[in-house]
Amino acid sequence: MVLKGLSGGQYQPLSRGQIKTIHEASLTILERTGFSYESGLDDTLGMLKDAGIRVDHQRSRIFFPKGLVMEQAAKAPERVVLFSRDGKNDLDLSEDRVHMGTGGAAIKIIDLETGEARPSTLNDLYQLGRLVDQLDNVHFFLRPCIPTDISAEAYDVNVFYTCLKATGKHVMAGVNDVEGLNRVLDIAAMVAGGREKLRQRPLISVITSFAISPLKLDTQTTIIMQEAVRNHIPVALSCAPMAGSTSPITMAGTLAQIHAEQLAGVTICQLTNPGAPLLYGGIPGMANLTTMGYLGGAVECGMMNAAIHQLADYVKVPNYNSSGLTDAKVPDAQAGWEKATTSLLAAMGGSNYVHHAAGMLESMIAVAYEQFVMDDEIIGMCCKVLKGIEVDSEHLALDAIDSVGPGGNFMTSPHTLKYMRDEFFSGNGVTDRKSRDKWAREGSRDSWTRAREMVKKMLDKKEKSYIPNNVDRAIHEKYNILLS
Amino acid sequence: MYDFKPIADALIGCDKPKVLELVQSALDRGVAAKEILNDGLIAGMDIVGEKMENEDMFIPEVLMAAKAMGAAVNILKPLLAATDMKARGKVVIGTVRGDLHDIGKNLVAMMLESAGFEVHNLGVDISADKFIEEISVNNAEILCLSALLTTTMPMMKETIDQVVEKGLRDKVKILVGGAPVTQNFADKIGADGYAPDAGSAVKLAKALL
Repeated sequence: MVLKGLSGGQYQPLSRGQIKTIHEASLTILERTGFSYESGLDDTLGMLKDAGIRVDHQRSRIFFPKGLVMEQAAKAPERVVLFSRDGKNDLDLSEDRVHMGTGGAAIKIIDLETGEARPSTLNDLYQLGRLVDQLDNVHFFLRPCIPTDISAEAYDVNVFYTCLKATGKHVMAGVNDVEGLNRVLDIAAMVAGGREKLRQRPLISVITSFAISPLKLDTQTTIIMQEAVRNHIPVALSCAPMAGSTSPITMAGTLAQIHAEQLAGVTICQLTNPGAPLLYGGIPGMANLTTMGYLGGAVECGMMNAAIHQLADYVKVPNYNSSGLTDAKVPDAQAGWEKATTSLLAAMGGSNYVHHAAGMLESMIAVAYEQFVMDDEIIGMCCKVLKGIEVDSEHLALDAIDSVGPGGNFMTSPHTLKYMRDEFFSGNGVTDRKSRDKWAREGSRDSWTRAREMVKKMLDKKEKSYIPNNVDRAIHEKYNILLS
Repeated sequence: MYDFKPIADALIGCDKPKVLELVQSALDRGVAAKEILNDGLIAGMDIVGEKMENEDMFIPEVLMAAKAMGAAVNILKPLLAATDMKARGKVVIGTVRGDLHDIGKNLVAMMLESAGFEVHNLGVDISADKFIEEISVNNAEILCLSALLTTTMPMMKETIDQVVEKGLRDKVKILVGGAPVTQNFADKIGADGYAPDAGSAVKLAKALL
């Protein structure tokens, strides 16, 4: 059962009128309040001024005229296709088509053997890539953790290389600087078979968190974003304010601010390279008001992430957002309910590229191998909802009902045999549906234990490299590859 | 003895007009400014800090209390002798080079200030050299380094290394913080302490001096 790219949109938290109201508010924010910046963006500011955008150097403010913003937003493609190398997981990001996968930059992982949190490593990233490659409902591999065992200078090349080697699904990550971006583009081009092929079938894309909420440009990342856009590599314009600290406490205010930040990012990208593919990257979040940390698992995160897709859809740009975060520290019941709720809402909202949806714990701080297996199950169920209920003559089964007749049963009906594998979601095996007796005989294993056993089986399988040997050798000769 | 509890209570209740009114009425009754500061305001803020750490108070409330405290101190300032105003300690705080995030760091700065520290908040994207210069100029006893990005965390180590190189390491206690920072990381880079939130940062700063 393919549960990828199905259409959401069944849950629309904002009415058409509310979408318009928020959109207008966002344009007002850009025109009246504007964006601020720090030093190092002279070229970007020059480009904006040439386009007719007012830059007040004394106050370090950029004021975007409404008309100009909409003119630029109209240049962004309505559809962005991100490619896989396994032939099964190309992502058609358009309209309300839903894709869900991993994401984050966790620095801790729950150790598979000890069950304790420890710093995540490059090998963890590789093993998680191999695991995700085998999980059918995880549609892409956005690096879920940071390899804390290698130096920051080695991140960019090694993160992308490791992901590309471990899985054939689409790979996304961020980079630290422009040099890193260029190295990553070079490696991706080697894997793709040349720059032009990479451009036509982008097998990687780049997260560019250009905005520091509220309404401030991050110098380094803005420059990276523009460089990626010049190279026609799809970028996700990530901005992730927290309601109550870096955006208003109210959901409407947070959505308006995020939409403004996104429109500014889209404007900068389209002025840099008109028509360049990008993903609207508003990620509404919430502050934990007692600690000011990030609240991941709140139900409002699910509501706002559905709403933000409506705003992206309003300006006709595919969107990147978030679901499946939890504030639980281990794969427990709280993790289950928070993930299921936020992921279902984001999926039913029609979000195009939902990251964080597999593996995360402790908000964005940790991942667990077992959690990826559990979340594969949750994503599958969410996407099954999108499939809806088919009502045609075959599915209505009038002939079957007639032939079974009153008082009969459907267990041996050919109609049952025909549809029994497809009509219900079957899952990856982590869900327990056994009788209590059988469950007890098999060791009364809870979901965490069952998932752990599945992970071990999947990681014990023979390793498979998604980078051809000759290309792999060439990459090793050119770059300092640390994956052993 | 004068009852300072209402002042502390008003502060904990984030009621700025009430705090100012009570401070003024204490002054009118001839209570020494120094006593109002120590037994009323700082005592109140200590409780706010505790409540914050226990998650009994929302941070926006804590900040409102800190603002009320600041306004009250402004009334008292002209009446306090220089010796009365002696800070609990001098702190230099900033976000390390390459990192432009400042909300968490500002929260820590405000809380330290409210707890009676003299705080020099340098801002964001601060080089090791700048930190070192400010430590010397201000005779700081505590250096607080902040980073939000995993990619700028290494700058914390570099800054500490520079402090060591310049021979200032014995002079200052170094605290680190920020979302991705852990106790483990703090130990590894040779910091004196790590705090997961602003309330604990204040507690730690007090304990270290």
